[in-house]
Amino acid sequence: MRQFGTILSFELKSYFKNKVFVGITVFLVALIAIVMCFPRISAMFASDEADAAEVASEDKSIMLIKAQTEEQAMLTEELFSAVFTDYEIRGTGDDISAIQEQILSGEAECAFVMTGDTSYTYYVNNLSMYDMNAEIANEVLQKLYQMNAMMESGITPEKTASIMSIEITGSVENLGVDQMDNFFYTYIMIFALYMVILLYGQMVSTNVATEKSSRAMEVLVTSAKPTAMMFGKVLASCLAGLMQLVAVFGAALLFYQLNKSYWGGNIIVESIFNIPPALLVYMLVFFVLGFLIYAFLFGAIGSTATKLEDINTSTMPLMFLFIIAFMVVVFSMSSGNIDNAAMKVCSFVPFTSPMAMFTRIAMSTVPWYEILISIGILIGSTIGVGVISAKIYRVGVLLYGTTPKIGAILKAVWRH
Amino acid sequence: MILELKNIQKSFGEKCVLSGISFRAESGKAFGLLGRNGAGKTTSIRILMDVFPAEDGCVLVDGKPIDYRQIKIGYLPEERGLYPKKIILDQLVYFAQLKGMRRREAVKSVDYWLERLGMMEYRNKRLDTLSKGNQQKIQLITALAHDPDIVILDEPFSGLDPVNAILLKDVVKEQISRGKIVLFSSHQMSYIEEFCDSIAILNAGKVAIHGDLREIKRNYVRDRLVVRTVSPESLRAEFGEACTVLENGDLLIQLASPEEKKHTMKHIVEHYDVDEVRVYEPSLNDIFVEYAGDAPKED
Repeated sequence: MRQFGTILSFELKSYFKNKVFVGITVFLVALIAIVMCFPRISAMFASDEADAAEVASEDKSIMLIKAQTEEQAMLTEELFSAVFTDYEIRGTGDDISAIQEQILSGEAECAFVMTGDTSYTYYVNNLSMYDMNAEIANEVLQKLYQMNAMMESGITPEKTASIMSIEITGSVENLGVDQMDNFFYTYIMIFALYMVILLYGQMVSTNVATEKSSRAMEVLVTSAKPTAMMFGKVLASCLAGLMQLVAVFGAALLFYQLNKSYWGGNIIVESIFNIPPALLVYMLVFFVLGFLIYAFLFGAIGSTATKLEDINTSTMPLMFLFIIAFMVVVFSMSSGNIDNAAMKVCSFVPFTSPMAMFTRIAMSTVPWYEILISIGILIGSTIGVGVISAKIYRVGVLLYGTTPKIGAILKAVWRH
Repeated sequence: MILELKNIQKSFGEKCVLSGISFRAESGKAFGLLGRNGAGKTTSIRILMDVFPAEDGCVLVDGKPIDYRQIKIGYLPEERGLYPKKIILDQLVYFAQLKGMRRREAVKSVDYWLERLGMMEYRNKRLDTLSKGNQQKIQLITALAHDPDIVILDEPFSGLDPVNAILLKDVVKEQISRGKIVLFSSHQMSYIEEFCDSIAILNAGKVAIHGDLREIKRNYVRDRLVVRTVSPESLRAEFGEACTVLENGDLLIQLASPEEKKHTMKHIVEHYDVDEVRVYEPSLNDIFVEYAGDAPKED
């Protein structure tokens, strides 16, 4: 146990003395501070922007309307002016080719050419992905037609107006969790786990392989028990990773609090900083266990590599496993169907459960016993993987020459 | 304290690396573990240090299975290497702590050894800023700082200049005089002869010969004579192919059997003008070549 403590503190100190580690942490904290201060910074330039906005209003892009009748022209121009506030609505009597020319030359941005009461052609130079003008026009024209039809059938304009402007009142009673609310922090946590495991997993691998290639291993392996070595190293990297995350998220929270008023109740940002405490605990549990199970394997792989260059190839299968788990979770999250069969299976498989089960807990309602079983399996597997990794480590670190095949290593581990 | 390895067996996969290794070393004496590359020296040392277990056999201290919590072992591996990018003091204290020392006493001991080996000025430097010989001295500290009961030195003199070799000799002698078991593994026979009272020569995973070095030499077949003479030609004429010239000009005469020794010596003294006639005593090198050279001799 004392050996484990010695190794843990030595490895942890190594992280804190590592210029790259410190540099990345400082950079991330600075970056997050700037992001969190952004509304305050932009508010400082607000007055200039306001002036600029006024100028811009005079410079609105032009939307041309070509109607069939004067009455239609009047009605559509009035209605379109009300809904397309970003445009300057301008009626035109030009023929189609002239309109097209104006759009191509950039004089006007787009044009609606009415071909009937309920039909039109929309002209635009480059149709953007976010161009909703046609949909808005459809709605406006549909309403206009309905109003005209009602009035023609003898309903008074007032009655027509009240029918058309009827509003539905309703409320939602959500008995589970609001996926929209949880989406962002779940995504951030999953992504942080993904980044930290890949980054630190590689660090553990490289660390072990460096000790092996520098032959420091010769003394280490005769000085400390492999389980103490493996657990000490991996827990040190886990703590270093957690501390880095705490620094980054702590900075985010601090600078958010300092600039809270400037964020103006942004729903996404608020949802991120309002994680329920129970979920934070789950986050920590799955984060630590998920990190450890992968880091142990990265350590074991590092011990079998004979050259530092081999690490990338050797860790590839593990990376794939991890990336697949990440993909399943992220696709399920964006599909909205969190409790699909793949996610249910993944939330019990030790290598995928840290991400899958956490996502299910955060974005859906999971029975407590499922959570307990998942955590139980994960704890058991993490300890098991840790012990096996330590054994692989003991065999692996003394094998020089060509990188041994996985079968040969497992045989040797079994024999020991 | 008596350290014994008894009938140690070990194989890696299909390959049998050690088949029944036994030897015995005593405190206050140096023991030489010899053998060609791949003879099983490092594997024996690793089993002794509990890096991996033996398939059969045992390691005993004073007749009881070794207790690694009680018996401290210091090891200077043949494959040298520590953390090149880390501060020397930090890593030496780390290794001493791993061997069970408290931090304060580890720092004290490391400082003593840095001073003793003339390395104090490098205390707070990175290891990779040192020359190879100095790095080796740092590595030696990892083997000695925790005041081990058994000191295992694998090729301790390789890469050291003559001045540092003398320094290391003094350290080794001091360890022996302090009652430690010093286990040497080296191909430099002169050092083994200088330090070791007893040896074991391994050949293909077996002990080819072991015991007290002087005894081994004494029991060596005494069928060769060394003759110093001013007129070697007449002797060479009489003994023909049985007579060869040694590097220092002395003649070496191979006898048909040890029984002829007395008679031949008398004959040479009576018939030739010689300064010295003695029985040839083999060097450790001769013994090594004979026992470690080929497949192991059957006992």
